[in-house]
Amino acid sequence: MSAEEKFDVIVVGGGPAGLSAGYFLAKKGFEVVVLERGEDIGTKNMFGGRIYSHVFDKYYPGWRDEAPVERWVRRERFTILCKEGSISLQYIPGQDVGEYDSFTAFLSKFLKWMAVVAESEGALVLPGVKVDKILLEDGYASGVLAGGDRLTADYIVVAEGINTLLVEELGLKGRPRPESLGVGVKEVFKLGRDAISRRFGIGDGEGVAEFLIGYPINKYGAGGFVYTMDEYVSIGAVMKIGNVYKSENNVMDLAEDLRSHPYIKSLVEGGTIVEYSAHMVGEGWGSILERPYGDGLLVVGDAAGTLVNTGFTVRGVDYAVESSRLAADVIEESHGAGDRSSAFLSRYKNYLDSSVIGRSLRRFRKVPEVLSLDRLHTTYIDLICDVLSGVYTVGEETPSLKESIDRGRRGRVSIFRMILDLFTLWRSL
Amino acid sequence: MEYLSVEKRLSLVRFNIHSEPHIKVDTSKCIDCDYKPCVKACPAGLFTLDDEGRLHFNYEGCFECGTCRVVCPEEAIEWRYPPGGFGVSLRFG
Ligand SMILES: Cc1cc2nc3c(=O)[nH]c(=O)nc-3n(C[C@H](O)[C@H](O)[C@H](O)COP(=O)(O)OP(=O)(O)OC[C@H]3O[C@@H](n4cnc5c(N)ncnc54)[C@H](O)[C@@H]3O)c2cc1C
Ligand code: SF4
Ligand code: SF4
Repeated sequence: MSAEEKFDVIVVGGGPAGLSAGYFLAKKGFEVVVLERGEDIGTKNMFGGRIYSHVFDKYYPGWRDEAPVERWVRRERFTILCKEGSISLQYIPGQDVGEYDSFTAFLSKFLKWMAVVAESEGALVLPGVKVDKILLEDGYASGVLAGGDRLTADYIVVAEGINTLLVEELGLKGRPRPESLGVGVKEVFKLGRDAISRRFGIGDGEGVAEFLIGYPINKYGAGGFVYTMDEYVSIGAVMKIGNVYKSENNVMDLAEDLRSHPYIKSLVEGGTIVEYSAHMVGEGWGSILERPYGDGLLVVGDAAGTLVNTGFTVRGVDYAVESSRLAADVIEESHGAGDRSSAFLSRYKNYLDSSVIGRSLRRFRKVPEVLSLDRLHTTYIDLICDVLSGVYTVGEETPSLKESIDRGRRGRVSIFRMILDLFTLWRSL
Repeated sequence: MEYLSVEKRLSLVRFNIHSEPHIKVDTSKCIDCDYKPCVKACPAGLFTLDDEGRLHFNYEGCFECGTCRVVCPEEAIEWRYPPGGFGVSLRFG
């Protein structure tokens, strides 16, 4: 890189948001560079393991044959981890579903593919470059400072992810609150293709997406996940960062605790652990920016708070891509109008609000709150586990379901409280 | 699967460590911090307390997740990313 280079657009960050922004903008004919601080694309990124297909179907022709898909999700599981034993609910879609609507992936690998696609459209993707500062000229974003180099551009797209250092420095966001952020940990185990297919009861190429709640991760107020990859299994958990203030437990033990449950043990038995990682995650409604724009500047993906947590699924990657699609449209319009003021670019916020992202954010805005109800993680887990173990533990006489429920509920929670909680839960979903 | 200490788990990951720490803790501010949430919040266990209750921090093995910055009530943590190309390098993600 020479001391000063001029581009139409500089994208800061090469995650799903940044790489798709580079792709969309290059496709529209802009001269665009994506700067990623990792030594290679995908080395700083971590997620659970499932991506929704719709954005790729719409914007990445031919992706189903090229993208590094691990397995197509054919089983949705919800598992309650009891003190002893577990309860699983499994959904298997009908045979004639047509195209699969989600798949499992490793984010590092998937992003390397996204980078190649962006480059094939003419975007320049540069790993190993950290942006230290966004430069302003008369209030307008005019370039970036990166490791002593200066790059200039007409537009800056900030795609730095959930750890919003630049966005805060630009004054678009206050100090992040521990209540509106989660921390996630994940372990990857190598198991082999056949072992996975057998253990999870699926065919080759078919995958399981699983959401977990209960022991022993309920003491963190955490929810867990399991995703089957081609030859690996990814297992992890997410908890609200604010929970560390009210718990004696240490986040560094979260993955260990999860793995110690007999159900998880049985899933990874005979496997080899190949990676442990951690990352912050947004909580949906709490992270969305009031103003994801400035003069000559737009914010996309997690940095803008586009992630939606629906309770059972996390819509991070697909909504990040969708936000970048909208941002690229706005830049095209702004360029055409010759107006890159924040007044013009503010339409990006309107586009976001009326898109699937805004609709989902509003619809699921109560979910993080409900998921963090203490009663959900303890009382109700114990209740349902006791009821089922009561029904299925057969001695001389089999208890009726009603007897089991009454016994499980005794002294724990009033019928009134239970109905109220069920109502809150129902309203939030 | 046997018990895996956090050190063991960190040894699975490549960290391209820069000589200059990217996170600096002003431990003089920690004296007033009763609960010391960073110790419980760091997924890599990099904040530790010694016998006298003093805080120690090691930036090697950092996932650059940002949790410690968010959780610290005293703003005692000066938090930056390592220079381009340095720090954690995940293979799977
Ligand atoms: C535990 C966990 C589980 C999740 N599970 C799922 C899931 O199953 N499905 C799903 O869709 N989503 C999931 N998500 C969310 C998903 O990972 C994010 O929504 C998605 O990665 C957001 O993309 P992004 O590009 O906005 O941010 P990121 O992926 O975080 O990318 C930001 C990039 O910017 C780079 N960067 C930051 N600052 C600079 C700088 N100054 N200079 C240069 N580069 C910089 C970073 O290195 C990084 O590569 C999960 C997240 C977590 C933490
Ligand atoms: S949370 Fe902040 S102030 Fe408290 S001990 Fe940790 S670094 Fe120090
Ligand atoms: S950024 Fe994350 S891994 Fe690094 S020290 Fe802070 S909490 Fe620990």
